Amino acid sequence: MFHLSQMDQIFLKSLADVVRTSRTTSQYDKLTFTTQTIADIKNELQSRQESVRYQALLKLFFLAMEGNNIRWAEFQIINLMGSGDFQLKLGAQLAAHLVIDNQSQGLIMVTNVFIKEFKSSHIECSSTLSCLGTIANKDLSDSLLSHVLKLTTNTKPLIRKKAIAVLSKIFTINPLNIPGNLEMVIQQLQKETNISVLACGISLFCSIMKVAPKLYPLFLSIVYDQISKQKSNWLLIKLVRISNKLISLEPRFQGKLIEHYTRLLNQTNSKSLQYELIYSIMRHFKNHSQLYESAGDILKQFLNHQDPNLRCLGLECLTHISTSVGLMEFQEQILESFKKSDYFSKLQILQLFKDFTNQNNFQTVIEFFLKYSDMESNDKIIESLIFIITKDKFINVDDPEKLLLVYIPIIAQKIDSIDNAIRFKELLFELLTRVPGLKVYSDQLCNQILQTYATQSDSLQGPTLNIVKRHTQLKYSLNHREIIFKSLIMIVGESVKLLKLEALTNIIKFLEQLNILNCYESSLSDIDSLLFKIYIQIIKSDPENQIIPQMEQLIKNIYTKLHNISIVKISFFYESLIQIKSRDQLQQLYNLFEEDLPPINLEAQKLIKPPEGLDINKSFQIDISEIEKIKNTNSDYIEQKQLIQQQQQIEQNQGEQQDQNSEIQIKVENEEELKPLNNKIDQNANKIFIINRDEELPPGINQDDINKFKEEE
Amino acid sequence: MINFILMVNKQGQTRLAQYFQFLSVKERMTLEGELIRKCLSRSETQCSFLEHRGYKIIYRRYASLYFIIGMDLEEENEMAYLEFIHNLVETLDKYFENVCELDIMFNIEKAHYILEEMVMNGQIVETNKTQILAPIHVLDKAKDE
Repeated sequence: MFHLSQMDQIFLKSLADVVRTSRTTSQYDKLTFTTQTIADIKNELQSRQESVRYQALLKLFFLAMEGNNIRWAEFQIINLMGSGDFQLKLGAQLAAHLVIDNQSQGLIMVTNVFIKEFKSSHIECSSTLSCLGTIANKDLSDSLLSHVLKLTTNTKPLIRKKAIAVLSKIFTINPLNIPGNLEMVIQQLQKETNISVLACGISLFCSIMKVAPKLYPLFLSIVYDQISKQKSNWLLIKLVRISNKLISLEPRFQGKLIEHYTRLLNQTNSKSLQYELIYSIMRHFKNHSQLYESAGDILKQFLNHQDPNLRCLGLECLTHISTSVGLMEFQEQILESFKKSDYFSKLQILQLFKDFTNQNNFQTVIEFFLKYSDMESNDKIIESLIFIITKDKFINVDDPEKLLLVYIPIIAQKIDSIDNAIRFKELLFELLTRVPGLKVYSDQLCNQILQTYATQSDSLQGPTLNIVKRHTQLKYSLNHREIIFKSLIMIVGESVKLLKLEALTNIIKFLEQLNILNCYESSLSDIDSLLFKIYIQIIKSDPENQIIPQMEQLIKNIYTKLHNISIVKISFFYESLIQIKSRDQLQQLYNLFEEDLPPINLEAQKLIKPPEGLDINKSFQIDISEIEKIKNTNSDYIEQKQLIQQQQQIEQNQGEQQDQNSEIQIKVENEEELKPLNNKIDQNANKIFIINRDEELPPGINQDDINKFKEEE
Repeated sequence: MINFILMVNKQGQTRLAQYFQFLSVKERMTLEGELIRKCLSRSETQCSFLEHRGYKIIYRRYASLYFIIGMDLEEENEMAYLEFIHNLVETLDKYFENVCELDIMFNIEKAHYILEEMVMNGQIVETNKTQILAPIHVLDKAKDE
């Protein structure tokens, strides 16, 4: 230690000087300034003069707030804690939390310092207790437990309050200290009248419930006693909070609280206390209709309030209503609140509806969110809507037809991210797998969605613009559309057999007009496959060849538009068409090979001269016995062949009969399916689409679980 | 339980930081910087509650200073802590008489002392302004004598 001369003291920088210098120093000189200041502080901390050391401590505080590491000063600060000057001691105790942690070696030195301070004046004792509460570790708390327990009986409420607050830390660090000591504290609290001390006691009970919840019977009576007579809002909030935890451990406690909760709910104007009460009532008092209704009325006020904080808290409270029936009561207020809410609150509301939407409010929810989506929350809204639709294999969907034709196109228009496009694709595939009858609408769906894309992409016509735009961010914005485009093309391709001729021709015409085909380079194989399937289906459906030439021209136009496709592919396409077209002719050729060859017509022989020296009437086999032998074997062969032919004929007839029967059945089924769908959607029509939820249950889920869920709903 | 209480100005300079769980200097600086950026990006129409890095954050702006409390994510009454922030500001205002940022900078130990009288071990222990300021008035008297 050294003694500063009077001259040195004149030039000593105070905290105010350091603050002013720091504010005026530029960023580049900051490091130099900080290094110089730390060097000065290190010197000053070793001074004998307390005023100097005090100023150094204050400057240390300031540097810590600026983001500088002051852990090097741990020893000096612990040293200062034992100083005779209270101001210096206090400064060191306040700075202790900046340099000391649970692993600090210096904590060993602090024990005796603290024991000495506990015997000092009440102000010094209280500041020591505050410091202990901040830096206590297991060893320190075990050493000082008995001293702290003694202080809980101090005459000063300031000391008692802080001693109990420290005890909550000691009991949390080492729960083995609780038995025996807690009863003593409870006995003192039962006689306590000071509100601050009681509040610290309730906080102590909350801490004990975290580490040793089974000890709750010890303080159940004191909590009930206080809740029936206290008027301080701060204390009541703590009491209601701990009561909430006690009810889950002791359900009978609930009955005793009804009267007091009703009284508090009616009397209090404090929003924080109201929120605490509503929170508790919504979780635990559903069976008590009067109290629940009163809480529900206040909750509705919160949801409609101008203050965004209260709206947010109202929504937070609703997440703890575990049934959708309960949520339905507040649906109107929640949806109104959505319009005024910020992004964070909107996410809360979306999460609520993800958990609690059912068949009754499904349409309302979908229509509302599609109407009120904005740029910021659009992505999350679409994600939530897709989740709601597909939840538990479309359990919320009662009208799949309306979903496909009304809601899904709108959702497709609003999608602006790849993740949502993939989710949308999976939604479509799953819906059409579970309701196969909806595939007849695939052409309408395709037209509706792609028409919108075409309209919005007018600026992307032509190959040159594509080459330029390809390197901008617009390509990213097209990718989610391309995913949807591919999925639609695939669905139409799968549904081709169910579509009528008119629908098929409309698709070809639509694709021919569509200007965005060039933008979807990675979908060329899908387009190719679709055109192929449609063309085959048209050939089957148009035996009179009335529209086939027109369609061929349109298909050719489409391929001309797809600039990147190779000529080889086009030629292969036409070869395939030719092969399929002449299938009937192939059958005739087959029959031709089966028949015995007739002799060459005499008229034809006139034109074709036999070779010179060849006598066609002369036998070329000289040995007659050989001729007879061949003749006999031939006749056996012919008989066998005839038998085999007869057998094959019988089998063929049987097969044809079966095919005919199955064809008739399929035809009848399709006709029955298509009959009502030929007309426009009739709102009063009976529901004919049933979602198949039985197949392919995901692993780990039983049909029984689903049935149970349905019953609960 | 409260994990930290911060007073940060609009430039991101921390004027007071009280942590009830130990964090290294680097972690503190990162956390404070992120929090003030988040708070500055929020508008007046948005609520004062948000979540960040596993903490529930409650904040309120008074002039150029943001008062930020970080709590555990488990159930807590956010409204009560918002009212606590107001109580803290009123207490500081009562002591410093029209408190401003500079008062806190030049009397940092007193601001810490007032806060310690109100919060111990992450729990609110006192809300009565007279009770909170009584010890510090005794100290001031002793210093004057």
